[in-house]
Amino acid sequence: MNIGFLGLGIMGRPMALNLLKGGHSVTVWARRAESMQPLLDAGARGAANPSEVAQASELVISMVADAPDVAEVMRAVAAGAKPGLVAVDMSTIAPAAARQIGEELAAAGIDFIDAPVSGGEVGAIAGTLSIMAGGSESAFAKTKPAFECIGKNIVHVGESGAGQVTKAANQILTGVGVLAVAEAMAFAAKNGVDGSKVREALMGGFAASRILENHGQRMLDRNFKPGFKSWMHEKDLNIVMQTAHELGLCLPASAATAQMFNAMVGSGLGEEDSIAVLKLLERLSGQA
Amino acid sequence: MNVGFIGLGVMGRPMALHLQRAGHELFVWARRPASVEGLPASLCASPAELGRRCEVVFTMVTSSRDVESVCLGKDGLIEGMAPGAVVVDCSTIAPDAARRIAARLGEKQIEMLDAPVSGGAQGAIDATLAIMVGGKAAVLARVLPLLECLGQRIVHVGPNGAGQVAKACNQMIMVAAIQAAAEAMRLAAAAGVDCAKVRQALAGGSAASRVLDVMGERMVRRDFAAGIEARLHHKDFGLVLGATRQSGVATPLAAVVGQQLNALIAQGWGRDDTSSLLRVLELA
Repeated sequence: MNIGFLGLGIMGRPMALNLLKGGHSVTVWARRAESMQPLLDAGARGAANPSEVAQASELVISMVADAPDVAEVMRAVAAGAKPGLVAVDMSTIAPAAARQIGEELAAAGIDFIDAPVSGGEVGAIAGTLSIMAGGSESAFAKTKPAFECIGKNIVHVGESGAGQVTKAANQILTGVGVLAVAEAMAFAAKNGVDGSKVREALMGGFAASRILENHGQRMLDRNFKPGFKSWMHEKDLNIVMQTAHELGLCLPASAATAQMFNAMVGSGLGEEDSIAVLKLLERLSGQA
Repeated sequence: MNVGFIGLGVMGRPMALHLQRAGHELFVWARRPASVEGLPASLCASPAELGRRCEVVFTMVTSSRDVESVCLGKDGLIEGMAPGAVVVDCSTIAPDAARRIAARLGEKQIEMLDAPVSGGAQGAIDATLAIMVGGKAAVLARVLPLLECLGQRIVHVGPNGAGQVAKACNQMIMVAAIQAAAEAMRLAAAAGVDCAKVRQALAGGSAASRVLDVMGERMVRRDFAAGIEARLHHKDFGLVLGATRQSGVATPLAAVVGQQLNALIAQGWGRDDTSSLLRVLELA
């Protein structure tokens, strides 16, 4: 298939490479020309702008920073689109923004899928991302072969916006979850109990989770290298809290967690992994 | 002086009337012309036309977007106002929006102050509003006689946006105090104690406050008719939490209060008084 790819950052570059490996013909564009080079070396074609990418493609995928960026590149895609083009955005943005972009593209006769991912850079390189998609059944079917080069757990959740709703729910669970594990670790330490033994004991019970397993271990190793940077989790939790505000939805644990992430960004922990929330707890409790 | 006023709702109408009664020539524009009926003012066809005829224009609208559209939109104030004229925005909006709009107006040498108010409809009627001002001191000095028609406590907080930051702080403290009063009333009732007596007893001590006085009274009487419509506090909390986020500070209490307001909205009580936070507690 002729696939266009817009946005070649930490996530986008390996995803586009995996599409090439899957035998697809890939045309790429990135705001910074130098980030296109590794893809051109691997056999992709370069384009001068998103419209040119759209002209050469049956499917266009974007992986950019924020909702305004998605809206901007998708407008350019619409300007260059051939009939039958399917546009896919895999960035993490607000569900309301995704729905609006979907409506604008639909008005131009273009099917749109919101398909944010979970699994981080490691998952992007390995081609094992979780993909949560929103949009029409027929557009999803056209997109699926491309998704299969990028990810493993691919779920069509529902209509337009449903993918972003799922991603926001994912960020509630991982955000509140990482804070819960950090609190458990701080609790053990302040009580003079060995955190690694606590983790080992809990992994056999109902509190066992992937976050306790992976993030808990990295907390014990005091390895705060990202992974998933705190400022990005803060941005995603802001999407959650904005949406809750708009809908009239009471999310007390998410709200408390979002405050901790605010404080991390404000106190210089933004570039560290989200498990650095442990450092903030330690500071508050005089354990630092 | 020729003074313009845009946004003639519950707050704006009495404010505009005070300016007119002080001897100023009043010009108004409204999205719905019916809302300016009966005002002793000249009705203008657009904000641009109003801007052409006035030295100072007050705005008192709902959202950042409304202020932006009235000031910078098509036929907006920016197209009519002369260099040196002043926009005084009394709406409660985001500090960064206030700064952005001021900068755009500044490109045409139009001055702007953010001047949000506290004191509610009664304060607007009695001309006793607290006014917190952001912008240049020299510009404030020019419009001070006008602001003195509206309120008694006028404080120059700092440069553009500073007035809105102060207003966000005001809303943070006030709604958290309403929540605290509601929790106290809830505890008293659940413990089988007379809420009215508790409120009466506390009024003499360290926990005494205007909020306990006014909102506590409404809670005791279970009179949840607005007052201050809770949806406006809910809107303001969106601004508060946006500002704390941008500044990278933790405000755990404001975050919890924000969630209680979300629950209030979900119950359909947005047009009732914010003392309805008591009813949210009674749901659990």
